Amino acid sequence: MPSGARRSRASHALVQNVGLVLVIGLLAACIIGYCALFVIAQHRFPGGFELTSTLDNTMPLAFAALAQTLVVLTRGIDLSVGGVIDLTNAVAAQTLMGGPVSTTLWTAAILLIGAACGLLNGVLVAVGRLQPILVTLATLSIFQGLAIRILPQPGGAMPPGFTNVLANPNWPISLLYIPLIGGLWAIFRRTRLGVAVYAIGNDTMAASSHGISVRRTVILAYMLGGVASACAGLFLAANATAGDATTGDTYTLTSIVAAVLGGVSLFGGRGSGLGALFGAFVTVMVVNILFFAHIDPLYQTFYEGLFLLAAVISANMIGRAVRRRR
Amino acid sequence: MIRALFTRDRRRIVYAFIAGIVLFAIGQAVRPGFASLDGIRSILTVASFVGLVAAGQTFVILIGGIDLSVPWVLNAGAILMVTSSLGSDARAIPALALTLGMGALVGACNGAGVALLGIPAVVMTLAMNGIMQGLTLGLSGGMTCTNCGAYAPPVVQAAVHLRLLGVPIVLWIWLLIIVAVSFVLGMTRFGRATYTVGNNARASHLAGVNVSAVTIILYALSGFFSAMAGIMLVGFGGQAALGMGDPYLFQSIAAVVIGGVYILGGRGHYLGSVAGAISLTVLVSVLLAFNMPDYGRSIIYGVVILALLLLYGREEDSA
Repeated sequence: MPSGARRSRASHALVQNVGLVLVIGLLAACIIGYCALFVIAQHRFPGGFELTSTLDNTMPLAFAALAQTLVVLTRGIDLSVGGVIDLTNAVAAQTLMGGPVSTTLWTAAILLIGAACGLLNGVLVAVGRLQPILVTLATLSIFQGLAIRILPQPGGAMPPGFTNVLANPNWPISLLYIPLIGGLWAIFRRTRLGVAVYAIGNDTMAASSHGISVRRTVILAYMLGGVASACAGLFLAANATAGDATTGDTYTLTSIVAAVLGGVSLFGGRGSGLGALFGAFVTVMVVNILFFAHIDPLYQTFYEGLFLLAAVISANMIGRAVRRRR
Repeated sequence: MIRALFTRDRRRIVYAFIAGIVLFAIGQAVRPGFASLDGIRSILTVASFVGLVAAGQTFVILIGGIDLSVPWVLNAGAILMVTSSLGSDARAIPALALTLGMGALVGACNGAGVALLGIPAVVMTLAMNGIMQGLTLGLSGGMTCTNCGAYAPPVVQAAVHLRLLGVPIVLWIWLLIIVAVSFVLGMTRFGRATYTVGNNARASHLAGVNVSAVTIILYALSGFFSAMAGIMLVGFGGQAALGMGDPYLFQSIAAVVIGGVYILGGRGHYLGSVAGAISLTVLVSVLLAFNMPDYGRSIIYGVVILALLLLYGREEDSA
């Protein structure tokens, strides 16, 4: 590659990560807007309590968005995210009340359940050669059914040790998880699997002819997605200190919203888990802003829809402008 | 000769119809009277609501799109119908025009977002669903408005419940729509343009097809049919309710796909979606006849869809 023709590394990095830069900007704008409205309403700055509750409320969506991203990067889509969250949430409510050892073992088992759900999706997509949207539509129904079978009524309880680790009400413990997710994502991108996921998202044929096993990669991407969804289910249970076999349903669609806001392309191969993480925060912050702006809650989804459209349209335009300038 | 008559797409339609008939037979075996005239009539009536939504979904899936705004366009249509007609036959016609126009307009907005602004269909219609949900809830005050409890005009209720030659009028309407949609897709320039856009939008553009216009019209049709299903549903149940559109999103997509319409566009027929809508409705009824609890229905529903897809919904490319 002729080095003279290349722009500086910084400019290259900016153009490659324009989606990530945009979502960070969006998040910053949301935080400023939220603080301004909060000060007007409460005559003080948001403090530790607001920080903790916002972070804790976001963690399930952050993991769901991560799950969605892993699958969307391979040119798929996972409509069963909500079903896996329902299922893992229900299992958590039925099993976690035991000694510390049993709780730990069951937590691991729940992550395995998530992986198994992802395995089912991945095998049907990669080996069964079915369209991802159809497979996950059908498995969504199956997982939802299983969840209700396991936990017919909302309830159950969470051991305090478990909730304190995942969603401590007194301390913003999520501040530890966010860099952890970011670090894990940075490692994942550099593994063979991570490179393969991006490669098949960009061009499946080319990836396959370069010796990447498309089947194996797709299956593993869905499995990792399933584990992330299971994490979402666990965090949701910890946050609510109880289980509910239907609260996960909404995460199917909001995970797509968060991923899109985070700059993940639904056409595959573009975007990052970090972006999806920030996208999840933007999604939650918008709801907070609407609350403090005294918007009638009945109109909430109206403004969320408008916001999503505005964000996607402006990201399209900015992305195009940046690429043209090059 | 026979092979030429039964192309892959036509075979899929036949399979979907056979699945429906087999399910009817199972239902009859489990509960005698299941496949009686009355049973068939009521199942087909319920299937027609899915079938109407699936008509719109077929249109947009044929160009590789998808319409996730179905639930709240349908719900908004149902509420607009009762609140604008106030249960009087005299207002029925303007109320019908208003409701169907609202559906078409919202659909056209979806199409414009996809075609002109380049927003992915999933994002555009998902956002539109939220917008319509917020508007519906907000404007109706969460269904607390004074007119929200109004009934559908008697003429609309009659259209669903009354029979003509032993067949509910709504089924005649559905038959008319089946013929019209099949005619438009199979025999007109517009139908041909739909298939070419679905196969290759860029090539169609170069060949002189106005891709944006086709896209906008198809999404408008989807909105139109969602609103129409909303009208039929208030005619069926008498009143509107919040959330009445929710089941129709996934059901309409499943019906379209089971009927052999290729989810990435360019291949399939509305007749297939019709067969899919009927099979799915019979399946649910059979599971009800088995006294299957909710969760069991949900699981078997998913398993059956997967089984049908594995039987004939597979991609051929890497075979």
